[in-house]
Amino acid sequence: MRERRIVITGLGVIAPNGIGKEAFWDALKEGRSGIRPVKRFDTGGFKCKLAGEIEGFMPERFLGAKGLRNLDRSSRLLCSAAKLAIDDAGLKIDDGNTDDIGVCTGTTLSSLWSIAEFDKEIIEEGPLFTNAALFPGTVINAASSQVSIFFNIQGFNTTVSTGYSSSLDALKYAVDFIRMGRIKAVLVGGVESLSLANFTGFNSLGFFSGTSGEALSCPFDKRRDGIILGEGAAVAVIEDEEYAHNRKARVYGEIKGMCSSFDAFKIGRYNPVAEGLKKSMKKALMNSGLDISEIDHISASANSVPDQDRLESEAIKGVFGRLGYNIPVSSIKSMIGETFSAGGLMQVAASAGSIAHNFVPPTINYKFRDDDCDFDCVENKFRISRINNVLVNNFGPGGGSASVVISKYH
Amino acid sequence: MTVNFEEEIKEMVSEIIEVPVERLAADADFFKDLDVDSLKAIEIVAAFEKKYRIIIPEHEIPNIKNIRQITEYTKNLKKD
Repeated sequence: MRERRIVITGLGVIAPNGIGKEAFWDALKEGRSGIRPVKRFDTGGFKCKLAGEIEGFMPERFLGAKGLRNLDRSSRLLCSAAKLAIDDAGLKIDDGNTDDIGVCTGTTLSSLWSIAEFDKEIIEEGPLFTNAALFPGTVINAASSQVSIFFNIQGFNTTVSTGYSSSLDALKYAVDFIRMGRIKAVLVGGVESLSLANFTGFNSLGFFSGTSGEALSCPFDKRRDGIILGEGAAVAVIEDEEYAHNRKARVYGEIKGMCSSFDAFKIGRYNPVAEGLKKSMKKALMNSGLDISEIDHISASANSVPDQDRLESEAIKGVFGRLGYNIPVSSIKSMIGETFSAGGLMQVAASAGSIAHNFVPPTINYKFRDDDCDFDCVENKFRISRINNVLVNNFGPGGGSASVVISKYH
Repeated sequence: MTVNFEEEIKEMVSEIIEVPVERLAADADFFKDLDVDSLKAIEIVAAFEKKYRIIIPEHEIPNIKNIRQITEYTKNLKKD
């Protein structure tokens, strides 16, 4: 039996450098950064005072004013991105098809703000006088569930929480669900929001750039010394090709091949040879049926952490050999920061733009070459190029890694 | 100082259920007339427990269905 083809038919993006897919794509093309001094909370006690913080986000524009009261920022971001994606896909959800549609979200820290607020209230007000409405938001699947509630989507609802690779792992889960014939379409999302709690956490673990110099997200650059944290939500509507075809949906691209793997080494430390990432890339490429020479662009997971960027470079060269030096490899994290679990879906949304408009986004803030990352990093300026196939990578120190091949739809 | 419990409670309920104060009749049934769901009902109870530092016994909660009843209940507890 021929394998079902899976296509992307809708995109919704709320990113630090652009709200809505077109604004996001324009920003990526122009190399516009969404990294700026944090306004949401006081960064006085931190060396790094920057983040990819979304400005001018008005959820009522997408969701109406009513019903927002008890939604935390993560849920507002994800539901808004979902609304944009549903509209973009022209997907009408009603009693006739609600069981054919699912929601699958990658997130790891999106409920941390609610947990912290709930905890604070218990301590300050006492357990008998704690606001019960804060409690539902404390669970990791809160944001994803709100999408189903808001848009009456009843097929299934799953949250995948695997750290950096969460949203690509969520995509894999959704693709498998469609391939098994258990669902027709899925809203796949990734979300993380900026809060004092997660900012403090990453800072305490020493992940931030700027501890000994300028805070900067400069993937592949010699000066890189840590991440700049980002926030955002991206949602893609993916569908069984036949379902999309029957409803005459416009198609952005096809998900040709995917693989997720896990290569945990020690807590908080990278696998020293990036075994998992190499495996993910190889298998995703193999499943796509494409030859490595057909990959036109790699959307990298590089996030300005010295080890992460070096290991991804090694993995790319290990998998692609000499061809690895010719493929444009860029990291959009130079512009939006490390959006953690949302990062993979942000890259998928960016890559759909690359395929639609034939451009490769730049790696901005690139100045000093590092011999460990000596390939084509698409330095500072976008490039016009015919893009048929993109390899998207995602990995981190936790052991999770995932790769996906997205191709022009024929 | 006289506290207008009803006005205070109306404002509190209005914020929680997102219905303007002027549209909140004191006798309107939370569930039948104002579309209040179970979570919002808990939130209303929790909010006025917190505001007036009182605890409503659980068996009393189902009997409180509108703003007038909350007001009366609060006044009585405050008297005690």
